[in-house]
Amino acid sequence: MGEVIVITSGKGGVGKTTTTANVGTGLAKLNKKVVLIDTDIGLRNLDVVMGLENRIVYNLVDVVEGNCRIKQALIKDKRYPNLYLLPSAQTRDKDSVSPEQMKKLAEELKEEFDYILMDCPAGIEQGFKNAIAGADSALVVTTPEVSAVRDADRIIGLLEANEMKNIHLIVNRLRTDMVKRGDMMSADDVVEILAIDLIGVVPDDESIVVATNQGEPLVGNDSMAGQAYMNICRRLIGEEVPLLDLNGKNNIFSKISGLFKKN
Amino acid sequence: MNHSVMIKGTKSGLILVLDKNTDYEELKQEVAKKFDETARFLGEAVLALTFEGRELNTNEQQEIIQIIEEHSQVHIACIVERDEKLEAKFEKSLNEHLMELENNTGMFYKGSLRSGVCLEFESSVVILGDVKEGAKVVSKGNIVILGSLKGNAFAGASGNPNSFVVALDMEPIQIRIADIIARCPDEPKKKKSKAVIPKIAYIDQGNIYIEPLDRESINDIQI
Repeated sequence: MGEVIVITSGKGGVGKTTTTANVGTGLAKLNKKVVLIDTDIGLRNLDVVMGLENRIVYNLVDVVEGNCRIKQALIKDKRYPNLYLLPSAQTRDKDSVSPEQMKKLAEELKEEFDYILMDCPAGIEQGFKNAIAGADSALVVTTPEVSAVRDADRIIGLLEANEMKNIHLIVNRLRTDMVKRGDMMSADDVVEILAIDLIGVVPDDESIVVATNQGEPLVGNDSMAGQAYMNICRRLIGEEVPLLDLNGKNNIFSKISGLFKKN
Repeated sequence: MNHSVMIKGTKSGLILVLDKNTDYEELKQEVAKKFDETARFLGEAVLALTFEGRELNTNEQQEIIQIIEEHSQVHIACIVERDEKLEAKFEKSLNEHLMELENNTGMFYKGSLRSGVCLEFESSVVILGDVKEGAKVVSKGNIVILGSLKGNAFAGASGNPNSFVVALDMEPIQIRIADIIARCPDEPKKKKSKAVIPKIAYIDQGNIYIEPLDRESINDIQI
């Protein structure tokens, strides 16, 4: 029996889709059978980030409306044979799907996959309700900014109201140099405010932008973000992995400051 | 339960399905009984009647109509003939005519299609603008885009493999013609180096080809 995980944040632009793509790809790298579901109907992105846009024929709405079978709509990833994507519809809106239908879909996919990752849209309306309907656990993504943390807090409240027990936090786009200067909240500060378990910290990394534009998730490569995402995947499958030292050599900022020090 | 007589409703009237093998006199009684039962449901109405299941001559038809009118408040205005072979023939010639129309007639659409827009046309279409990523244009005939095609295009939606797609800047995510789908290559798009030239997408021997729109490719177009 698989596990359904919803990736959500409340606020837009904090990295839900990037996280879904990377965690999903990472789990596939760890030999798990994974399906990613884009529930952001009308504003689909996950297919672009995964570089699978050109393969879409059927989508989520076609599946729930019975226009096609689930198998027909699942797109096999071009890199990993045990990774699949169920894309969202671009020409419809959130009301095209109901939480009950999502629940049924999740139950069906659970039979065949180890992990079902739901990429949640921003906001707390219909799209959010659809995404969390069938989920067993949640990954809440936030950036160390007051607005994002505030929205994450609201989301956690809503998840708890829906009797979600297993909620984990990902702090995304952390900049250690700013934290050191005292200009940015640290991961610990965020955890203290939100009071849920931290599963990973992902540093702000230019290579994410490059990877997103190329449609190639960077999880597992030697960039800081790639390592951080891989560690999150390991923790998800139950391994004990210490938090990444974000001051490592690969950090672009320490590289630059290192250059100045030499001179 | 006797199934020798069945009443079905349509948009404009009733279909009376009569059993072929039942005796005609018995059938008349059965019709009377059926309409006694349903008289209240049908109420007062003027309806068209269609006979199905059994060939009746004019006298027999008149008799049955009389029975219906006696046993209910329904007034039969006319008899509608139904001939399945004839209908199939009509439909076929209509479809052929439509298919011709799809290819030979067209309309103009002015404006760019942005992400999330899906436009469908019964005829061929000329789009004066761009079809962007995430947008889709569907036509039963041909598609000509006087702009760039960066989204999805589906020509020959009713199954005509002679349909084609033309765009001034051809960079589609997907092109579908009739039942064949082609998708763009997986390599990330390179920065444009060459001058943009108009291209045409068409089916040849079960594959979609995209080629520059020159005299040769125009000669090959079948309309």
